[in-house]
Amino acid sequence: MIIQVKNLVKRYGDLVALDHLSFNVKEGEIVGLLGPNGSGKSTAIHCILSLLKYDKGDIEIFGKKMTPDAYDVKRDIGLVMQNVAVFDELTVYENINYFCGLYVRDRAERKRLVDEAIAFVELEAFKKFYPKKLSGGLLRRLNIACGIAHKPKLIILDEPTVAVDPQSRNKILEGIEHLNAQGATIVYTSHYMEEVEQICSRIVIIDKGRVIASGTKEELKAMITLGEKITVEVFTIEEDQLRVLREQPGIMSVDYVSKQLIIKSDKGNNNLEIVLEFLKANHIGFGRIYSELPTLNDVFLEITGKQLRD
Amino acid sequence: MPVFNLCLKIIRKNWISISIYLAIFLVISVLLSTNSAPKETHNFSQEKAKLVFISKDHTPLTEGFRKELAKSATFVKIPDNTEKLQDALFFRQATYILRIPKGFTENVLNGGSMQLEKTIVPNSAENAYVDLSVNQYWRLAKLYAKHEPQLSEKQLADKLSANFSHNTPIEMKAQIRAKTDQGFSMYYFNFLAYTLSAVLILGISTVMIVFNKNDLRRRNFCSPVHASSINSQMILANLLFAAISWVILVGFCFIFDSKNIMTPNMIYFLLNSAVFTLCISCISYLIGNLLGNLRNMSAVCNVVTLGPCFISGVFVPQQFLGETILKIARFTPTYWYVQANDEISQLTRFTWTDLSPVFYNIAVLIGFSLAFLALSLVVGKRKRLTDR
Ligand SMILES: Nc1ncnc2c1ncn2[C@@H]1O[C@H](COP(=O)(O)OP(=O)(O)O)[C@@H](O)[C@H]1O
Ligand SMILES: [Mg+2]
Repeated sequence: MIIQVKNLVKRYGDLVALDHLSFNVKEGEIVGLLGPNGSGKSTAIHCILSLLKYDKGDIEIFGKKMTPDAYDVKRDIGLVMQNVAVFDELTVYENINYFCGLYVRDRAERKRLVDEAIAFVELEAFKKFYPKKLSGGLLRRLNIACGIAHKPKLIILDEPTVAVDPQSRNKILEGIEHLNAQGATIVYTSHYMEEVEQICSRIVIIDKGRVIASGTKEELKAMITLGEKITVEVFTIEEDQLRVLREQPGIMSVDYVSKQLIIKSDKGNNNLEIVLEFLKANHIGFGRIYSELPTLNDVFLEITGKQLRD
Repeated sequence: MPVFNLCLKIIRKNWISISIYLAIFLVISVLLSTNSAPKETHNFSQEKAKLVFISKDHTPLTEGFRKELAKSATFVKIPDNTEKLQDALFFRQATYILRIPKGFTENVLNGGSMQLEKTIVPNSAENAYVDLSVNQYWRLAKLYAKHEPQLSEKQLADKLSANFSHNTPIEMKAQIRAKTDQGFSMYYFNFLAYTLSAVLILGISTVMIVFNKNDLRRRNFCSPVHASSINSQMILANLLFAAISWVILVGFCFIFDSKNIMTPNMIYFLLNSAVFTLCISCISYLIGNLLGNLRNMSAVCNVVTLGPCFISGVFVPQQFLGETILKIARFTPTYWYVQANDEISQLTRFTWTDLSPVFYNIAVLIGFSLAFLALSLVVGKRKRLTDR
């Protein structure tokens, strides 16, 4: 077990930021901590790394109790913080070299690692740049390079793609998968379900400081009753007809918003057929039809009654 | 030592603003020291009051008194007319007008008051000698008259003049002081308290503000470098910066006061200021640690370390400051630093007895430094784990 968190409680004054949070991370996994803004992801990371006092809970990393003085444990951890944490006074190269230097003493070895990290985030052309001169996406990549240059066994990334252009984002996600392939265990926090779905082997969904569900994405989707979401372009439909449609077998809910008929059905096979037959039978004209399988957002919605992103 | 190197890099990145500070303070301190230093200390005893001597009492004693006064004052002749006398004072033709009323001698010899009428220009030091002479002469006259009542006034006058024929002790003391020509150095080193505070605070707070940014602090503390090692590397870098600033500032004293480089007093000035530098760095480091993420930290630092300069006699000599102010000032290292400087500037002999007050003050400074250092280590360790 790489990380073991048991009943972690953290209060900020009256606010309970973490409420008996428990989860595990096994070697070789990419675990996604998914939750909306303010759900306590960053707080959890800071507590796990002993950067923040917490009120209650047991935290073990690499099988050892984590404390502020657990320097042996810290040696094998790489942290990429949510806010870019680099020195404005240092260039790109110097920044990575500084942070790598906190872990690796040997100069030659360090130089190799720093060059590798720069190549990894593709900042070769910006080595001599100061952070102030970098765009948001490049700055994020620098932030990542500073966290991973020393080749840690465990890498924790706290929303590394916030405010990043799609191209940089994809690079970052590929990079994380690459690091994982090289043997690093990864904890990745985000409020973007697409990212988490794309790269994480296991997902822990957090809301209000509590774990509300965890498992692989298939397991999570299997947990909920929603089977399929069907959207049909419909130009006119009567209120009566909607009511009748709602009473069809297998249909969970029907909404009609801005000429879109949104139908949620439970796990059956011929939901789409039922809907189409109903429309034809009632002589309702329709345009395009989409059918979607449930997303993590639906999982979140069904458990908490609210959207993942407000 | 990554943290140490980083601190130096941060300081180097800000060297322009730091050197502007240094330059401005250097100019100010040289100007101030040059102006404040007593210019002709060795002429001190020759400075004479310009005295208008008006006697309505003509006795052998008043005559003897006049002769005696001539030693410590220059006589000026101004007609005895209120308006003329006032003009003379106003235009500094005279600094002291002394009037002996009729029957004064008799009155004194019979044990009466020695009150003479005097009008003086305020705040002129040379008048003090006239006052002293007046006091001494007539007190002695009184004494003789009491114990040897058989003496005539003439005999009394002779005896007194014999008595005063050798140098007065006051003059000798003044000469001792005059020999130590440490005026410039003393003012420069006193003012150094201000300059050093300003420059060190600027430099050290620049570093501390960067390191105490919440994210960077956390980032550093999640690395395997021991918290104590991070702390000591920062302290070391700050001390190196302090030492360099000290060398530069002291170097300028050498340039402007080159004739005093070789005096033994200089060694103690240097020692004192070095210890004070240490002390100020420790305070700045402590404040930096306490208020690290405050944006206007340097403003707070300025108040905390420059305030003491005002109450400890850096700008105004300690003897002009009120008793209460000095009592408060004792709680600041600056007070002890200035005290030591004053002591050092008056040293002419360097025996253990002469030096012990100096060492006492320096020891207090060292005590302050250790206390501040210990405090900042405690604070630094505690800040590793935050509540928020
Ligand atoms: N320093 C702090 N002081 C007080 N409350 C805080 C602090 N940091 C975070 N919080 C609160 O704790 C909750 C969790 O925040 P955070 O861990 O940053 O969430 P996330 O990273 O999931 O967006 C939020 O409600 C936030 O307002
Ligand atoms: Mg966060």
